[in-house]
Amino acid sequence: MKERDTLRIAGTRRGGRTVIIVDGRPAAAHEGEMLAAALLAAGIRELRPSPTERTPRGAFCYMGVCQECAVEVDGVRRQACMVRVTPRMSVVLGGGFKT
Amino acid sequence: MRAYDLAVIGGGVHGASAALFAARAGLKVVLIERGALCREASGVNAGTLTIQVTRLALLPHAIGGHQMWATARDWLGHDVGVVVTDGLQLAFSKAEAALLEERTARRREAGAPLRLVTAKEARAIEPGLSESVLLASHSATDGFAAPYLAGRAFRRALIETGVAVFEGVYAEGIDRQGAAYAIRLSELSGERVIAATRLVLAGGAWIEEMLGWLGLAVPIAVKINQVAVTERLRPVMRSQIGIASGLLSLRQYPNGTVVIGGGWQGRGDRQKGAHEIEPANLIGNVRLACHAIPALRSGRIVRSWAGIEGKTADELPIIGRLPGHENAWAVGGLHSGFTCGPYVGRELARLITGAESNMPLFPPDRLVARAVR
Amino acid sequence: MTEGYDLIVAGAGPAGANAAIAAVEQGLSVALIDEADAAGGQVYRRPRVAREARGAGAEAGWRGHDGAAGEELRLRLARSGVVFHASRRIASVSGRFRVDVVGPRGHDALEAPYLIAATGAYERVIPFPGWTTPGVTGLAAATILIESEGMLPGRRVAVVGLGPLLAAVAARIVESGGEVAVVADLASRSDWVKAAWRLTAERPMLIDGWAWLKVIRRARIPVLHRTGVRRVEGERSVRRLVVGPVGADGAPVPGPHAAFDVDAVVVGHGLVPSGDIPRLLGADLRHDPAGGGWCTLVDGEGRTTLRGLYAVGDGARIAGARLAPLTGRLAGLAVAREIGMISAERFATLAGDTQAEIARLRPVAAAMARLMILKPGLVDGITGGTIVCRCEDIPRSEIDKAIDEGALSLNALKHFTRCGMGPCQGRMCGESVAELLARRSGRSRESLGIWTPRPPLRPIAIDELIGTFSYADIPIPPPSAL
Repeated sequence: MKERDTLRIAGTRRGGRTVIIVDGRPAAAHEGEMLAAALLAAGIRELRPSPTERTPRGAFCYMGVCQECAVEVDGVRRQACMVRVTPRMSVVLGGGFKT
Repeated sequence: MRAYDLAVIGGGVHGASAALFAARAGLKVVLIERGALCREASGVNAGTLTIQVTRLALLPHAIGGHQMWATARDWLGHDVGVVVTDGLQLAFSKAEAALLEERTARRREAGAPLRLVTAKEARAIEPGLSESVLLASHSATDGFAAPYLAGRAFRRALIETGVAVFEGVYAEGIDRQGAAYAIRLSELSGERVIAATRLVLAGGAWIEEMLGWLGLAVPIAVKINQVAVTERLRPVMRSQIGIASGLLSLRQYPNGTVVIGGGWQGRGDRQKGAHEIEPANLIGNVRLACHAIPALRSGRIVRSWAGIEGKTADELPIIGRLPGHENAWAVGGLHSGFTCGPYVGRELARLITGAESNMPLFPPDRLVARAVR
Repeated sequence: MTEGYDLIVAGAGPAGANAAIAAVEQGLSVALIDEADAAGGQVYRRPRVAREARGAGAEAGWRGHDGAAGEELRLRLARSGVVFHASRRIASVSGRFRVDVVGPRGHDALEAPYLIAATGAYERVIPFPGWTTPGVTGLAAATILIESEGMLPGRRVAVVGLGPLLAAVAARIVESGGEVAVVADLASRSDWVKAAWRLTAERPMLIDGWAWLKVIRRARIPVLHRTGVRRVEGERSVRRLVVGPVGADGAPVPGPHAAFDVDAVVVGHGLVPSGDIPRLLGADLRHDPAGGGWCTLVDGEGRTTLRGLYAVGDGARIAGARLAPLTGRLAGLAVAREIGMISAERFATLAGDTQAEIARLRPVAAAMARLMILKPGLVDGITGGTIVCRCEDIPRSEIDKAIDEGALSLNALKHFTRCGMGPCQGRMCGESVAELLARRSGRSRESLGIWTPRPPLRPIAIDELIGTFSYADIPIPPPSAL
């Protein structure tokens, strides 16, 4: 757990610790943080396979443009960089496709 | 002046098919397209291949065209993403059910292999269907294509067959020279005029302007048909879906994208093109789609666009010889032109080369308002 | 629901927010739209975390001001009377003007006779082998992660590409306790010296730059000039970066390579104006590499060639965060004058200082933008197997093949290959594809035009667009004749 938190910059005040459910498994996150950032901090970089070559893809632009971080959040397709973490938020990776 | 046996003006599916089959029959053919091949209605329509929405009088063309698309690999030789699958036209209200019953019966009489199915049967055919369906008509051999692939496929086939393909070249006018035609072109390395003994005007919605070159005034109205596409989704449907009134066309491609169309109107004209999406109609169209296939709700729309369709005064197309011209033909103003296109083009090529054809014609004579010169 | 306003402003970055505030102050009713949940755009993005003491950079004064400017902007906006539609995406722009917005609160239609497009910029990244590997992200992405989320992009990061963001991002990573393995800059040292000379008119920029370099030097980070990415290695995540020398145009040249074990690569090759709305509505644009690519044609007050439509900030032309609030404010005032809320004299009084400051900053902005001009050699250097269109997995070789087969317009290329048809709508690959086509066909970018713009501007959730409805309320047109 300690190792995973090393991307969160020390000396910053953030939302309360919480848990999100990624593909059925719990992952630590902070309330209100960008879902894409929370996934990165949790060591989850592969968000979907590419459509034809099935190579792994992860968040790229973090500003709503590239669409690489599109995941299913509580049943609806959303860009993880445009979504704020809420407690026990359910996230399904794969962008509609399984690796 | 370069001389050809046949000049086809207009490089949509109709013109490209006519050029292809005429060249295969041995004619020396030139195809003139002001943009790129199949980039107007032929490339931006929703890709519907169905015998369930066309006008009764065009049923032979739709059936013939459908058969050709289904075997495109054989005669075209290149992929246009055709999937043959079940087609369902749905009724959600009693009024729609009545309309469906009436129209299905008349289409059956005209030879369409359709049958009415109950809601339960329809859901067995299409498990993605909503609970609110009352009745459906079913064709086991509807389907869809990926129209954006048509341009590349026809381009390859035409070039392989030896057709001279001029893209990005405007025809500016036509002069009769005895029994032949001199076609003035906007730009062409070397010559600005080419000659042809036979002529096909395949102008789609722009057939009005083309007929004007030969002194024929045929008013053509335009429809601006909107289409929207989703990003790739997990499989949510497997068939070609429409509704009784014809204002929905919906299918999921093998790559996961869902194309939503049906002829909801956007804004545009022949000069500026189909330049604007009418948002209220986009929403109406997508609501209707989700009413049919509820799982669509979880997806996202990535793009919407529109294409131009021509409409004659009697809403029947122009397919036939020009009045006063032994060797000039015109085709345009078709509803469900994408489905019919290859058949109409092939049969036109047969007529031009003196072969027999069973295709019912719709000569433009009936529509000529006046001679413009 | 349809809401009517005097003015709609699309984009709540420094340009858009200042435009909206300036107009509302003159008595106009103004709606401001942004897909983010707070105003500020990318440069003044609202931080989600509170940072404590800063290091050397803070002493030098560079870190604080962006954050403070953002807070000040949000405060002014909140007090201004502008109706702020946050977390709303633009589904379509039509008529003169109707803007359909969609978000978690559903769909609304806004209408106004005036529209200011302030949609900002996005980052240009020219493909290289391995750029699709998870862990490769944009330079702007790294800034957002650090500044707004208090998150490092990786434990050991390589910072590569061109432009002032390189030093800024490297310094921010170090300041935040992260490790930077290398800074690989396509520009030469003398490119920077020339730019610095032009920037002397604008001291705060030089102070920033100096502070960044000090941090980088103190951390003993290797800074390699005239150096580009050869490849990123790693199957499922970034493991290694290999760099090598490049020429002045960014193309690889023979020379020794260097490898760095890293878990993240942050890369940027400049900024591109996001001119979606002017394109969609048919205003005139011009291709100008010095402005970042396709720039909207505007007069001195931001008026486009389309009546009622203005374009401001980096969305019209890359000019940076210092000019953006000024061009925004000026357009807001110009709309107020055009609509008749203020006289020409009053406009001159209100706008005079802004216009003078714009005139003073223009050369500085141009010098900054010049540092981020597309380097054509980067495009030439894309290898055949490298994915260009990320959405559709299209490698360069397929694009070249389609061009050779006769796809001689961008739209034809799209239809031949599907590049640009995916969810990003060509924003990630558009620059590369257009440049590949221009270079292979020998035609100018200007003559090749742009992909036909299509709504929505970004993907919209169907659920949010259509809301709840009953079948009877869908206005289904009557059936056509049988």
